[in-house]
Amino acid sequence: MDELEAIKVTFFQECEELLADLEGGLLAMQDGNDDGDTVNAVFRAVHSIKGGAGAFGLEPLVRFAHVFETLLDAVRSNEVPATPDLVVTLLRASDVLADHVSSARGLGVVDEAVSAAMAAELKACTDPNAAPAPVAAPVVEAAAFEAAPVAAAPAEALIGADDALDDDDLGFDFQPMTITIDEQAADVAAAVGNVWTVSIRPKSDLYRKANETALLLRELARLGPIEATLDASAIPPLDLLDAEAAYATWTVRLETEEDETAIREVFEFVDGDCDLEITRGEGLNPDAALAALLAGEAPAAAPAAPVAVAEIPAPVVVEAAPEPVAVAPVVEAAPAPVAAPVAQAAPVAAAPAAAKTQQIDVPGPGQSVIRVDPERIDRLIDLVGELVINQAMLAQRVGEYGIAPSSNLAMGLDELEQLTREIQDSVMAIRAQPVKSVFQRMPRLVREVASMTGKQARLVMDGENTEVDKTVIERLSDPITHMLRNAIDHGLESPEERKAAGKNPEGVVRLAALHRSGRIVIEVSDDGKGINRERVHSIAIKKGLISPELQLTDEEIDNLIFLPGFSTADKISDVSGRGVGMDVVKRSVQALGGRISITSRPGQGSTFTLSLPLTLAVLDGMVVDVAGETLVVPLAAIVESLRPKPEEVRPLGPVGSVLAVRDSFVPLIDVGLTLGYREASPPPTEGVVLLVEGEDGSRAALVADAIHGQRQVVIKSLEQNYQQVDGVAAATILGDGRVALILDVDAVISLRRREPPRPVEPTLIAAE
Amino acid sequence: MPQASSISVLVVDDQLTMRALIRNALQQIGFKDIREAPDGEEALKNLLAKPANLVISDFNMPKMDGLALLRAVRSHPPIRQTAFVMLTGRADRELVQRAVQFGVNNYCVKPFTVQGLRDKIEQVFGQLT
Repeated sequence: MDELEAIKVTFFQECEELLADLEGGLLAMQDGNDDGDTVNAVFRAVHSIKGGAGAFGLEPLVRFAHVFETLLDAVRSNEVPATPDLVVTLLRASDVLADHVSSARGLGVVDEAVSAAMAAELKACTDPNAAPAPVAAPVVEAAAFEAAPVAAAPAEALIGADDALDDDDLGFDFQPMTITIDEQAADVAAAVGNVWTVSIRPKSDLYRKANETALLLRELARLGPIEATLDASAIPPLDLLDAEAAYATWTVRLETEEDETAIREVFEFVDGDCDLEITRGEGLNPDAALAALLAGEAPAAAPAAPVAVAEIPAPVVVEAAPEPVAVAPVVEAAPAPVAAPVAQAAPVAAAPAAAKTQQIDVPGPGQSVIRVDPERIDRLIDLVGELVINQAMLAQRVGEYGIAPSSNLAMGLDELEQLTREIQDSVMAIRAQPVKSVFQRMPRLVREVASMTGKQARLVMDGENTEVDKTVIERLSDPITHMLRNAIDHGLESPEERKAAGKNPEGVVRLAALHRSGRIVIEVSDDGKGINRERVHSIAIKKGLISPELQLTDEEIDNLIFLPGFSTADKISDVSGRGVGMDVVKRSVQALGGRISITSRPGQGSTFTLSLPLTLAVLDGMVVDVAGETLVVPLAAIVESLRPKPEEVRPLGPVGSVLAVRDSFVPLIDVGLTLGYREASPPPTEGVVLLVEGEDGSRAALVADAIHGQRQVVIKSLEQNYQQVDGVAAATILGDGRVALILDVDAVISLRRREPPRPVEPTLIAAE
Repeated sequence: MPQASSISVLVVDDQLTMRALIRNALQQIGFKDIREAPDGEEALKNLLAKPANLVISDFNMPKMDGLALLRAVRSHPPIRQTAFVMLTGRADRELVQRAVQFGVNNYCVKPFTVQGLRDKIEQVFGQLT
């Protein structure tokens, strides 16, 4: 029964997709899109969940889905009109259905009362004349299903439970139509005659062993007339072409009285050196046949695609498809026997264009999707991370031995580095996922929060297909949830207030994802009242979070809400209560190397902006020395590095100093001092300065002792292995096996700002 | 008496779970050559590329539903005689009647057991060994 368990896992995965389809369809209906396709897709989602659930005997789920489906069926057949109110009910029902799925999965409990009430409501919608019997409803349902043979023994498990049936005919006269395999085969044979399709994909070994396709084609031609088609689309551009590799695929239409064995015999000597596929019939272009069928025609046989035909033993002509593309149309090679490598190399010039026009579909079972256990991919990524570290170590060792960069060894290593990078990128791409999986949970949240707070809110989502590494996706859910709750609870006004302000009583909350300079940015905006700055300011002063004398810009006031211990709600609601404040959100976001900020316009709304790195697995960094420690500064933050001249360093105030970079002044920050590595800074002129730019665009000049170079590093969470450290984003392992800390540039900048005044540092005296 | 292992089957259902369950049932009966397609359009492409002896198809699918697939199969000479078993719920009675008009070989009402499915296939091909 292990296999059934495995199918059950698939079922729950599929349920997630179906629930998303269901919600998506219902939301489309809410937006006025209630065409038949949408309604049918909604129906099908519930129907499919019910069908699968029945097969696994998940009775409560089946029962609820059945009631839901019945109503949707009525909507589908226009017996029940899809009014906006009904769609809202259906959306709530989809939430309950999702709870049932989670419960069947063992991931939660269904509130029976809610479920029963919902089922009763659905029934009432299906049949408005039925007596409302909300309490009795689930009992009746249960009774109806007791008769169902769902709980059969596993060996007789029911497949695709649909309705409670104890008979298997639909009560009309029907004689199954019998057929024999021979009759079918005769049909196929009559239709295709003695035509075979032979697909030959030589491997490079075939040529290495001095065989060639032309000879094989000639052998095939002895069996009967052939038409050979060359698929040259796999030939790469010249600079990527490996002269000894094999790129071409031949598809041969062969008419012969001989059987498959005779055809295979032709390839006896190249066994294993080429991929061979022999199918009966034309098998060439199902798309054309399909198009003809859909157009109402019934062709006698699928016509062969009129592309690139070469007959043997006539001269081989490789021709691009007769599309009006400016491809070098005919590339003539020598008459047969053609030297295969020549035939392969010949169409190179035309290859990129030919690749587009010359499509020869080798019949396949359609595009398939592989479902892989995420743990396997994680393991792969970990391994690639180790590989990157290992490769760096190797490169470093070789460097230490003073091997010339032009030596074979060094060049081989360069190649290895490039390959390692490519592998890493490809592997990371496997794990990249659209943020959709997180976004699709949000409409429900918005519905629930809105109803809890008595607000009317509509969620608009944008950029759901923005891709980001899985490690980041998993961490997006909490902050987004918080920002949305905050936007509805604190941002949006009550419907009455909104009306009074001349706004639509229904507030709009927008959730968007986008890529910006190598990071993912999530924006949550509302069209509510905006932040009440006066109040925020006074609360911050009252709570002792800031000093009353401090002059703050509007933006600074807005961002006070991220301070620990800040809460503006007059009464603490269930929704965005004290449990997790925005400060906690900010901290957890920062721990991921992310930033969160808010901007607000009074009366018009607020926008939360959250940005995170695209991956939490690797980082391009600059390795620097500071006070005997090795640190990594994220490359994305570095604008330039320079060696300051004494005249460029100017003191600012009693403790600070700035660096004159061309026409502007940038505060100088000694990283060693900020992180507590040393008590006093050496003169900046003796070190190196990294000009960095923070998320908010503020610049700073970080002083380090020396720069080692640029490197890609594998991020190891410091929090998971040790604890969070201010100013440090994470750690990594360097080529020589040492652990180095990765600097959190923004945190270092803000740490420096907040630092209490220190005694005048010798740096400045020296600089002066 | 045909051997189940010599009959090629194409399972058509938009639901991965259902395809897996049907495949599992077919394997228990003794079928070996089992292919799958997620909708009628893919199924038809698949059949045109490589005919099958038996199609077991769901009815309600996106793109091309089971009924349209049946009509297309019947109108294409090489695969005209493909045995076609439609999976259906009780609610779809009218659809089954239409499928009968279009020449469905048999239908199978969900939920069904492995034995039930076997019976339906045997009614078409004769007893399976």
